[in-house]
Amino acid sequence: MAKNPNKIVAKKVVSDYVLDTIFTVVIILVLITTLYPFLNSLAISLNDADDTIKGGITFYPRVFTLRNYELVFTNPKIWKAYGITIARTVIGTVGGLLITGAMGFAMSRTGLVARKFYTIFCLIPMYIGGGLVPTYFVIKELGLIDNFWVYILPALVNLWNMILMRSNFAAQPEALEESARIDGADYITIFFKIYWPISTPIIATIALYFGVQHWNSWYDASVYIYNQDLKPMQTVLMSIVNEAAFAERMAAASGGSADAGAIANMAKGKSTNVRSITMSTMIVTIIPVLIVYPFLQRYFVKGIMVGSVKG
Amino acid sequence: MRLKKTQANGQIAVKRKKNVFLRMLEQWDLQILVIPGILLMIVFTYLPIYGILMGFQEYKLGDFPGMSQWVGLKYFKELLTAADFYRVLRNTLAISLLKMFIGFPLPILFAVMLNELQFPLLRKTVQTVSYLPHFISWVVGATLMFDFLAVDGGAVNEMLMAIGLVKEPIGFFMKGEYFWALVLCTDIWKELGWNSIIFISAITSISQDMYEAADIDGATRLQKMWYITIQSIMPTIILMFIFQVGGLLNANFDQIMQFTKQMTNAMLRDYADVLDTYIYRMGISLRRFSFGTAGGLLKSVVNFALLCLANKIADMVGETALF
Repeated sequence: MAKNPNKIVAKKVVSDYVLDTIFTVVIILVLITTLYPFLNSLAISLNDADDTIKGGITFYPRVFTLRNYELVFTNPKIWKAYGITIARTVIGTVGGLLITGAMGFAMSRTGLVARKFYTIFCLIPMYIGGGLVPTYFVIKELGLIDNFWVYILPALVNLWNMILMRSNFAAQPEALEESARIDGADYITIFFKIYWPISTPIIATIALYFGVQHWNSWYDASVYIYNQDLKPMQTVLMSIVNEAAFAERMAAASGGSADAGAIANMAKGKSTNVRSITMSTMIVTIIPVLIVYPFLQRYFVKGIMVGSVKG
Repeated sequence: MRLKKTQANGQIAVKRKKNVFLRMLEQWDLQILVIPGILLMIVFTYLPIYGILMGFQEYKLGDFPGMSQWVGLKYFKELLTAADFYRVLRNTLAISLLKMFIGFPLPILFAVMLNELQFPLLRKTVQTVSYLPHFISWVVGATLMFDFLAVDGGAVNEMLMAIGLVKEPIGFFMKGEYFWALVLCTDIWKELGWNSIIFISAITSISQDMYEAADIDGATRLQKMWYITIQSIMPTIILMFIFQVGGLLNANFDQIMQFTKQMTNAMLRDYADVLDTYIYRMGISLRRFSFGTAGGLLKSVVNFALLCLANKIADMVGETALF
């Protein structure tokens, strides 16, 4: 992307300056539009609920308070859901990287017996799938309804990620494999000890994809899971948004029992409202993604490019 | 020397005739890396494909899937003659076509503009920020938008009223007529940056010599953008467009489910019910399993046919094709 510094500099004419201005303005507008909803919610989540009702919060809290977050963090339901989300993200990402990565590595080896068969086997599902209903049946017949593993097992293989990893491993010099084979190493060792350590960009990228996929997933939890104790964060956020009563209960439950809380709440002149609770829960839900993402960002653009070269 | 060579050839010939399974056993250390994934795919990818049989059968509760009575195309006919079907199809096509003709070109334009931008620091910042919304779920996206576009105290309505564009706040999520535009705009908000990555990386690989040659020929900036940048990334654009066509009947299930509060918002249903949500409502919520399966199959067959058609056209016109 960087312009060649040695390029012959063409004379700038008036229209160039006009274009430069237009582009810069448009890009800055995109920047603001993308960020503003986030900043607005963050400000509301950090603003006193009574003050928020008056309206006019922009991108900074007017009456700063951490009370909304206190309410979110003192709710045992949130902790439980957060635990489920973290568990599925960690197990799902590590498992997915191992299974999908190993598959991608093996399929990048030209010496793999039945390689053509495996390739076609992996190609078919990219164009045709069973659809929602047959998938539901398989999950049901396997006894995965109301089972934590329904979050993990179906997502261990991801074909797009597999292809990205395969292209990456295929692009590494073959001499690495050959010399290790001569030394008598088996493929499992070659994969973990030689290819894995030199593939940090792609592994970071795929880890990000798997992690985000698990962190953000809500469909499996709402179709296959009835047990409230197994619901992840996204589902809790959905219930808060969909049933205002849920958030009111949460606000009310802040002090001891619900009744006492409600009374205390009234006495304090309703110190919190649904909107503040919703926004702070949402921020709590996305914080880990916001923290991890900038560290992995420098890898994933590279990772995508490696994949797109070979498609 | 000669003898040795034939022997070696002979060995290879013998090896070739060996059973595939024996050869797989010999390289167990490599096979064991693929097989877990393949087994998982058989269970979670191929069994559902087998389950498509239900779409041609009369599934009754307690039947073993795929072993029910055959009814041929009964459920496909039922689907095509269902009262809601044409409304559902209209919504699906409207949303998809809007995304195809407005949502698709914008990331290309964005990538070209970024490339022309004179401030590297601003470019880096914009890139980082614009990829970000891609990484949040539509659950969060909808939560943000419900609040941002809310009637009471939503930032957009407050802004519109402050500058006097509207007197009454607009109920963005209360009128079906707004829904298509809403889905389109929020989708652009969430995916613009992410969808531009592939074009940005294509632009990066354009040779600078072409721009220099154009400078010598006295080309204007806009001419260079059109004749060099856009034309050079045309293969990528065509490829992405083929994928877009192949997804014509998917109208972002996640987004629409969240925007309609899992289709419980009755005010929006006339404009928001798309094929995927319809299949979900019929097949999973109302437990009409055979009907839902038939719907899912019809959708993926049509999508696949469209992909092939788009690919064929691209091939005939002489542009890069997918296969």
